Amino acid sequence: MVSMLNKKMFRDIKKNLSQFITIFLMILIGVMAYSGIEAYMDGMKKTADKFYTENNLQDLNVSGLLNHKDLEEIKKIKNIKDAELKLSINATTDNDKTLLLNCIESNNISKFYIFEGEEFNINKKGIWLDNFYAIKNNIKVGDTILVKYETLELHEKVLGLINVPDHLYDVRDESELYPDRKEFGFAYMSINEITEEYIKKNVMKEANISDINLFNLIFPDFNYKEYIPYNTIMVDVNKKENINKVKNNIEDKIDNAKAIIKIEDTLSYLTYQGEIDEGKTYVGVFSGIFLFIAMLSVITTMTRVVKNQRVQIGTLKALGFSNNKILLHYISYGFWISLFASIIGLLLGYYFIGNVFISLEMAFFEVPNGSPSMNITSYYVAIGVILVVVLIAYITGRSILKENPAETLREKIPNIKGKGLNITKKKIFKKLSFESIWNIRDILRNKMRTFMGFAGVVGCSTLIVCALGMLDSMNFFVKLQFEDIYNFKYKLNMKENINNNELKELYKKYGNKTSESLGIEIKDKSEEREANNIFVTDAGNYVRFVDKNNIIKEMPNDNGIYVTYKLAETKGYKKGDKITWHIYGDDKYYTSPIIGFNKDPQNQNISMTKKYLDSLGIKYQPNALYTNKKLSKEKTIENIETIQDIDNLKEGMQGMLSTMKTMLVLIISIAIILGGVIIYNLGILSYTEKKYQFATLKVLGFKDNQIKKIFIKQNNWIAILASIIGLPLGYYLTDWLFKTAIEEHYDFGAYITVKTYIISAIGTFIVSYLVSRFLSRKVNNIDMVTSLKGNE
Amino acid sequence: MSNFIELKNVKKTYVIGEQKFNALDGVNLEINEGELVVILGPSGAGKSTLLNLLGGMDKVTSGSIVIDGKNIAKYNDKELTKYRAEEVGFIFQFYNIMPTLTVDENINLIKEVTKTNKNSKDVLKSVGLSKHANKFPQELSGGEQQRVSIARAIMKSPKVLLCDEPTGALDSKTGVEVLKLLKNQSKEKTTVIIVTHNSLISEIADRVIRIKNGKVESNIINKHPKNIDEVKW
Repeated sequence: MVSMLNKKMFRDIKKNLSQFITIFLMILIGVMAYSGIEAYMDGMKKTADKFYTENNLQDLNVSGLLNHKDLEEIKKIKNIKDAELKLSINATTDNDKTLLLNCIESNNISKFYIFEGEEFNINKKGIWLDNFYAIKNNIKVGDTILVKYETLELHEKVLGLINVPDHLYDVRDESELYPDRKEFGFAYMSINEITEEYIKKNVMKEANISDINLFNLIFPDFNYKEYIPYNTIMVDVNKKENINKVKNNIEDKIDNAKAIIKIEDTLSYLTYQGEIDEGKTYVGVFSGIFLFIAMLSVITTMTRVVKNQRVQIGTLKALGFSNNKILLHYISYGFWISLFASIIGLLLGYYFIGNVFISLEMAFFEVPNGSPSMNITSYYVAIGVILVVVLIAYITGRSILKENPAETLREKIPNIKGKGLNITKKKIFKKLSFESIWNIRDILRNKMRTFMGFAGVVGCSTLIVCALGMLDSMNFFVKLQFEDIYNFKYKLNMKENINNNELKELYKKYGNKTSESLGIEIKDKSEEREANNIFVTDAGNYVRFVDKNNIIKEMPNDNGIYVTYKLAETKGYKKGDKITWHIYGDDKYYTSPIIGFNKDPQNQNISMTKKYLDSLGIKYQPNALYTNKKLSKEKTIENIETIQDIDNLKEGMQGMLSTMKTMLVLIISIAIILGGVIIYNLGILSYTEKKYQFATLKVLGFKDNQIKKIFIKQNNWIAILASIIGLPLGYYLTDWLFKTAIEEHYDFGAYITVKTYIISAIGTFIVSYLVSRFLSRKVNNIDMVTSLKGNE
Repeated sequence: MSNFIELKNVKKTYVIGEQKFNALDGVNLEINEGELVVILGPSGAGKSTLLNLLGGMDKVTSGSIVIDGKNIAKYNDKELTKYRAEEVGFIFQFYNIMPTLTVDENINLIKEVTKTNKNSKDVLKSVGLSKHANKFPQELSGGEQQRVSIARAIMKSPKVLLCDEPTGALDSKTGVEVLKLLKNQSKEKTTVIIVTHNSLISEIADRVIRIKNGKVESNIINKHPKNIDEVKW
């Protein structure tokens, strides 16, 4: 049988439905936001881990000009489970899209996940295509596409649409942040598709033989398969802890291995992992702040609910109910509401937020079967929320129960302790108006309530500044990268092994502003080596350097290297320090002094001029050419692998920003709702406490508008002060998010415009003012007799 | 009749800010079992304080309050709770019934704090509210609500029924009905103590106590209490 007190509870909840709905929704939103983002982050991790494990992602990528002998040697190395050769090339299609084409012999490492079509078979003629690329370009299994590479032109039937664990994220070039799946994708085919004729031609070209008869004479037992220019061996190591050992062994034993890169250092893996790490910080910050503000509003509402039951508590006491029984009764209000809200919050977090965000991510990363995963911390948070609500009910109930029943039966008269208010008797305060003095004293008397209101508005303002500030900052960095640093219209990425004549031809047509990207390893004092790259510039003003304050610097000097600020900060480099490095594939080490620093939002690396490279005796082999010539009509250029249009790069970034905008609108809306609820709740609490005094003022002849003014004034003070405090906090939060949450290779910081600060401050103030204004209407309805009667 | 209630030198001092205020200043009283007692006095005289102390809702500063042989002034909070649950019934000026419970549920609420062999239906019948058992308090008139309050109090068969201005918020006709119910209770051996401003009520009382400035001004036994209908309200 339901006890009378439980009946009372259900009916009280029904009677105060709006207040309980507020508590319910706040907890629901808070828990949903937290558990949803957790479920999505955890889901991302687990989805990828599952994909990596089930489809056997390699542990190491060995790069260089490799062959079957190298493969056999590698397979003999201890602790290696398996290894496979791969030839990766950037091919183009009939409609001038770029395909990262991988030609393989077997598919036991980085196995395909097949959406449609058949499994890999070396003897099958055809191509397995990137699922996203196929969707974007409306290519179906069974269609035939043309793949071009140098002199090779292959008409390939699409045999399958796939995902591959080392192709979660692919961009054509490092300067692209956002993958353009319509223009760029990956593909796999059997190595048998690389024709003998093509290999033979290449070998002849390299050997400088033009006569086939002569070739046959020199290479009587020519087996083209031995001359296939494989450039990668994927290595699967038996245990994680053996990876470093295996890496060193390969370095020692395989001469052709130019670079051995751990899978964790590859772009696809790093970017995906970076997204998870970034998300983890967002979980902590955004959902943490949401939860905090939501809890503030729950606390204020719960306090309000229990305090409103003061006389009923007194009556129950008078009837002989024990304190514990009464406390349990009021705790159960909070308990059941928060329990249901938390459960629904957890479910919605998982099924709604988790799924929505995972789907957004899965549209960006190519991972099959992305699904959210409920994280244990979400349960802890939900339990924590329930405990806080229960604790609040307990504390509020307890404070009322501490009084004797006779006192509890009377309405609470404000407790005025003169000493704390003495300060307001001082001279400076005497000049203030009655309303101001009255409000100052009220604040001094209700410090906790004022603080909670203040904290709520600060949180609201901080979130708005941060949300808008992130957008400002991203826009700023798009400008910095694509207008200040990149000062060209087109970047032409050259094909490998381009000869001098071909280069000259390109210079003639498009100018000679070039750069080279060199893969290097830096050796530190403890002989540990770390992969990085050097940007060698001969691009003049086409690629500029900026300083810490984002101001364009003069052209770099030629007597040393420049290090990006973030890299220097991470590694502790100072000006004058020397860095020892070697180029992949060359054992010779160079030691270069650091002569300056530069800021690069996207890459943390080393830069030097061509002249400095020359002075080290290293041959400059440019791989990018910059030009401002109009190339909009040219789809392909001889000896140029890809043409990148600066406007397209910018557009790619804008695409990313528009997704961000949707999320930010959501954050701002929730911030405003939560902030509004807190102000409303505290307003009601404060109004209830002041009702007696307002009634007295009314009796004394104060007009409703005068009383409203007193009431609104205090809230306005709090809102103004809190939104001002929220502005710098918003800046620091944004800066912190960009500096810590974002992937290691980015160097972003907060760059917030004055307009954002003004909008945030005014926005916060308007929310607060409207709520106060709305509440102040209650003054019209103060019944002087009833209000004063309860306080005989 | 023995002294069912006995107060000796009861003092109650409130400290407000730096000032002390003696609400009761050495009260000595004796009340017999089953009496209908009316406590009269001007505002601030200490009537409600006295009632609260008798009901175990407040604690004395000094002195003793012996009820049915037990000094409740020495009770701790737990004992006072038990005392309120089992031995005292309260009737308030503004009824203080739970607005979200029906009439019947308000009365059965008592069963959650003490054992009673009374049936809520019988109790409701005795106060004339049988028809309203399933109504919420807001659906009743002031007099009916006060009768709910009385029914709730007598549901536990209290030894003492403490009434703070029970007719204060009622018109005279309804007030008379309420007083009749209280008088009936005293006839059933419940000691009924009524605190009021209305000196007319003293005409029906067995004992009339006047309080002034926290002291008992007079404690008179009414040898010929009038029948309620005889009083001109």
